[in-house]
Parts: sequence; C-alpha cells; structure tokens
Amino acid sequence: MKIIKLLSILVAAVLATSACGGSSGELTIQDAWVRPARAGENGAAYFVITNGTTADDTLLSITSEIASATEVHMSMGDANGVMSMQMQESVTLTARDKVEFKPGGLHVMFVNLTRDLKVGDTIPLVLNFENAGSLTIDVPVKAP
Amino acid sequence: MIKKNQYFLLFIMTAVIALGVLVEVVFRRPYSFHGTVINPPLPVTDFTLQTANNEAFRLSDQKGKIVLLFFGYTSCPDVCPVTLATFKQVYDNLGEDSQKVRFVMITADPDRDTPDKVSEYVARFSPEFIGLSGNRSALEPIWKQLGVFVEKQDSGSAAGYLVSHTSSVYVLDPNGSLLMTFPYGTTEIDMANDLAQLLKQSKQ
Ligand SMILES: [Cu+2]
Repeated sequence: MKIIKLLSILVAAVLATSACGGSSGELTIQDAWVRPARAGENGAAYFVITNGTTADDTLLSITSEIASATEVHMSMGDANGVMSMQMQESVTLTARDKVEFKPGGLHVMFVNLTRDLKVGDTIPLVLNFENAGSLTIDVPVKAP
Repeated sequence: MIKKNQYFLLFIMTAVIALGVLVEVVFRRPYSFHGTVINPPLPVTDFTLQTANNEAFRLSDQKGKIVLLFFGYTSCPDVCPVTLATFKQVYDNLGEDSQKVRFVMITADPDRDTPDKVSEYVARFSPEFIGLSGNRSALEPIWKQLGVFVEKQDSGSAAGYLVSHTSSVYVLDPNGSLLMTFPYGTTEIDMANDLAQLLKQSKQ
C-alpha cells in the first residue's frame, strides 16, 4: 500500500514538472507583479511568459491606463558593474520556451505613473502579441 | 560491566576530541569576504551634500560608523529599488549592529533629483536611510574618486534621458576610507555577514 502511495506521488510530481515545461499548447503569463510606487514616478512590472505553442511569437507592445507611457526595457550590467536600461522594440518568444521579466533584467517600465501603486492594488495590463493577440492580465502590487 | 563502562568513556573522549577538531577547523578558518576588498583602504576626500530639507550631510561627521554608499536615481524603477530593498534586508539582518552602519544613496542624476526627492525615495524602504543630492560640482569629485561611472543616455523612452551608472555598493570604514565594494547582485546575507565581520574587526 505504502509503495503504491509513493509511486502515485512520484507520478504526480513528474506530471507537474512536465506541465511547467510549457507544453500546454498556449501562450501564458504567470507570476506577474508590480512594484509599489507613487504617482509622478516611474514604475516596473514583472512576469514570466511561456510560449507553449509550436510557433514563435512576438510581444509587440504593452498598454496600461496607469501611466503616460508603458514600455519594455532591459537592464544590463557591463563588466565594470555599470548598469543601463535599453528600450526594447519587441520581445521574441521562441516556441516551447519561456521569457522571464525580472528585476535587473527585462521589465515593463511605466513612465510617469498617473496614480499611486499600493500593495494590495490590482492593475490591469494588456499585452499585445503578434500571434496570440491581446491578452489582459490583472497584476497585483507587491513589495519585492 | 567495568569493561563496558571503559568503552563508553573511550567513546565519549574520542567524540569530545573530534568535536574540538571540528570546531577548530570551522571557526578558526580566517573569514573570507564576499565583497571586493580594497587593500590598503583608500582615504576618501571629505564631502558635504544635502539631505531632506536641504540639511547638510558631511562624510567626516560619520566617523566611527561604517558608511554604505550606493549611486542611483529616483526615476530608475528597476535596479535602484532592488539595491534599496537589499539594504533594508541587510539593515534588518544586522539587528543592533545596524546602528553602527549608515545606509546612503547618492544621486547620479542631480538635474532631476533634489535632496528632498532622494530622501523621500529612500525613506520608503527605511526611515533610517539617507538620500543625498547636491550640485554637480559637489557630486562629480565623489563619483570620480570612487570610480563611479555616470552617463546620461538618450533612450527613445518617454521617460526622457536615462542614466547609466555604476551599481556597486561602496563600503567606507569608520575612518572614512574605502574598504570594500559589493557588486550588484550581492545577496543580503553575504553583505550582512561581511559587515558584521568588519564591525567585529574594528572593535579589536
Ligand atoms: Cu526601465
């Protein structure tokens, strides 16, 4: 009996990991969060995009109603520890692969927030993809 | 019975000796720092900048404390908050020792960051943190001396220019000399351990 129980746990674990591999056949956005900030400042949002489809896709733009402009930036450090941000025209999403937006790397940049972002708030964001079309997500404001 | 007791005693003795050797190996090993140590420490020319309400902050007034310096700008939504969040965790990690450390952010963008703006920005992470700005003529020598690279960058962003800046944390010893730097991404645990060690050494 014990062995059967153990086996079933093992099988469940294997299934769970393979599900994380992005074979769901869809493009999904997970683990989204926004950094708290105040009106007039710039803000940042992060998430993981998994392209579970068999075709490459492209993130063309992101729209929100909480800032004067919503852009995609990449923070990069050089060998001397100098950090700079570069605006990204688009982001390529390879088939069956994922792209992680994270602090110190790719991020959504809100320019000139029109409202305060407080922990507990939820912000709607629209991500526009070449193939997947427009996806709206509700993003919680979280302290990092 | 007697034999059994003797074996037991032998076992206890061996265990005690083994434990002693282990303690020796683990604790006597010289501490190796996670940050990059500057040897010998580089004396830093005294400077005065402004904090909230244009109050003066003079480096030499911090004598006896370790000063952590970080350069950034308040329109930076990604890298700068990460470092300040790390500062907060280091502060919490240090416990009582945190009172012997000053956590300071100096602007890399004096054209947009007023002393009040930087102070308000860092205070969100901890009211103990100090935010500084000042004239370019006061800031540039500090950047230069510590080797902090600062450059405005036209980005095409609606945010106007962005600022490329060195993202390391600079550690000044209680005499105001540059002792160590932490590269961006150093964990709060490594930073707190290094600082605790420095405080321990400065007591000796
Ligand atoms: Cu950015």
